[in-house]
Amino acid sequence: MRSLVIAMAVVLLPVAVAGQRQDDWREKTVSVVAAGSWTGPRTPDGQPDVSGHWSNTIGNHNTLEGRLSDPVGGVPYQPWAKARQEEFQAHLEDPTRPEYVEPLARCAPGGPTKSFLWHGYEIRQYPGYVLFLFDSGTRVIRLGDPVHLPAALKLWNGDSRGRWEGNALVVDVANNNSKSRFARTGEFVSDEAHVVERFTFDPGGRFTYQATYTDPVTLTRPFTITIPNRRVTPQTPQDGWNNITFPVVFDPKSGPHPPDIEAYERTCVENNTGHGEVAAPGG
Amino acid sequence: MQASGMGSCDSSRLRVRPRLWASVAIVLLATSASAQTAGVPRDVDGRPDFTGIWQSLSGAEFGLEPHPGSTDAPASLGVIDGDSIPYQSWALEKRKQNLASRESSDPQTKCFTLGTPRGIYYPEPFQIFQRPRDLTLLFEFGHSVRTIHTNGSAHPEGPLDQWLGDSRAHWDGDTLVVDVTEFNDQTWLDRVGNFHSDALHVVERWRLLDANTIEYKAQLDDPKVFTQPWSITVLLYRRREPGVQLIENYCYTHEYDEFYPYPKEATR
Repeated sequence: MRSLVIAMAVVLLPVAVAGQRQDDWREKTVSVVAAGSWTGPRTPDGQPDVSGHWSNTIGNHNTLEGRLSDPVGGVPYQPWAKARQEEFQAHLEDPTRPEYVEPLARCAPGGPTKSFLWHGYEIRQYPGYVLFLFDSGTRVIRLGDPVHLPAALKLWNGDSRGRWEGNALVVDVANNNSKSRFARTGEFVSDEAHVVERFTFDPGGRFTYQATYTDPVTLTRPFTITIPNRRVTPQTPQDGWNNITFPVVFDPKSGPHPPDIEAYERTCVENNTGHGEVAAPGG
Repeated sequence: MQASGMGSCDSSRLRVRPRLWASVAIVLLATSASAQTAGVPRDVDGRPDFTGIWQSLSGAEFGLEPHPGSTDAPASLGVIDGDSIPYQSWALEKRKQNLASRESSDPQTKCFTLGTPRGIYYPEPFQIFQRPRDLTLLFEFGHSVRTIHTNGSAHPEGPLDQWLGDSRAHWDGDTLVVDVTEFNDQTWLDRVGNFHSDALHVVERWRLLDANTIEYKAQLDDPKVFTQPWSITVLLYRRREPGVQLIENYCYTHEYDEFYPYPKEATR
């Protein structure tokens, strides 16, 4: 019987994978999960269990276009800040000064928001913590302790303090060093920026990421970025971008296991002292 | 060297007849494997819970072998079992070269991921997050992340060139036994040039001696560099300062930090 099950799995697996192509998995519209109560499974300490592999479903870090939800037209910059953003964008392909090299190309962390416009990532949960493991950088969200680090500490991914409200993880991010860019188009804020993030989860395997930035130094008003995300499963097509996982091989002596996936070691070193890769215009 | 305290006994002092010795040994082995350490925290499955922020005081980073004090290192009895690492002759020469050029060639000076086991005894804290399926080790140095899988999974198909290796573990009673393979050859073992190749194979044994102390043992085997396997033992202490927490330190970004103040209104 056991060998029959294995044989069936071997036959069925390629069919399942082949049945969902990357073109089908990526989406062209923004799905938004409504705030409400959580009806899915919970972790032993009572959090909505959202652990596992995830990815955005639309857009990437080449541009913020389409990800701005309020206002939709563009980052509400003060004129001088707009000029500096455009200066960076104009030199992306021609980085005649060190500051024109996009920090992520040097393996710097993406910052609170850009990390969700890049590769797939993993969420792990523990009593008092939610961890986001990105390909470049890791975020530790501390739950139940709202006091931020001393203001003198400025960090690439900021200091994140969270709480669960029904199906939403609400995170307050301070201590931003604001050295990262939002996209290859160069959008930025100052190190006085304050961010409120809402991760609103659907037990069916979706969540909406919304980040509202307030910054009196560079902006004329707050703005909000919205990024739709979807769970990456063993059936998700592997593309080395949104799905960076590989199938887990289990020791036969450990008994039967459902299909599972893992990501390889996330250590970005190839570009950490050089120029790295730059984006083609409009790419 | 630390006395292991587990299953350790001096057989010469046991006045038992040879025929009895085998059965005594079996009982001792069974006891050591299944004995539960009292007073240690446990997870939802009853396993020892390594959750917390830990740091070594061993000085192993300054040299794994016994060494006198110097201008940039405290003296140490060393942390290896024995007096010296059993290098092949060519590798001993390579270690001398490493030592001579360490200011530029030690990967730590470039803030590269420290590797396994160096990250464990490097004198900065790391945090363990534990679930039944895995342990996540987050190192303050470089904010790097290592996962130790405890879900019955096997090493992925290799070879993989990974900085921290691939860690698959099982429980031997209250001891977490971790098999680590799939290394690159880019990390060192300490700051005096001890090194390994991509054939490194590490077997770690993690055990809570009490609620605030981990005994960490690692056997290192590398047929390209050493003549035989050798071992280290260090203790890891829980960081207990009120409110202590890891602070993000992407060390490798410091060399280009200066280029990225957020753009200011004042123009050049």
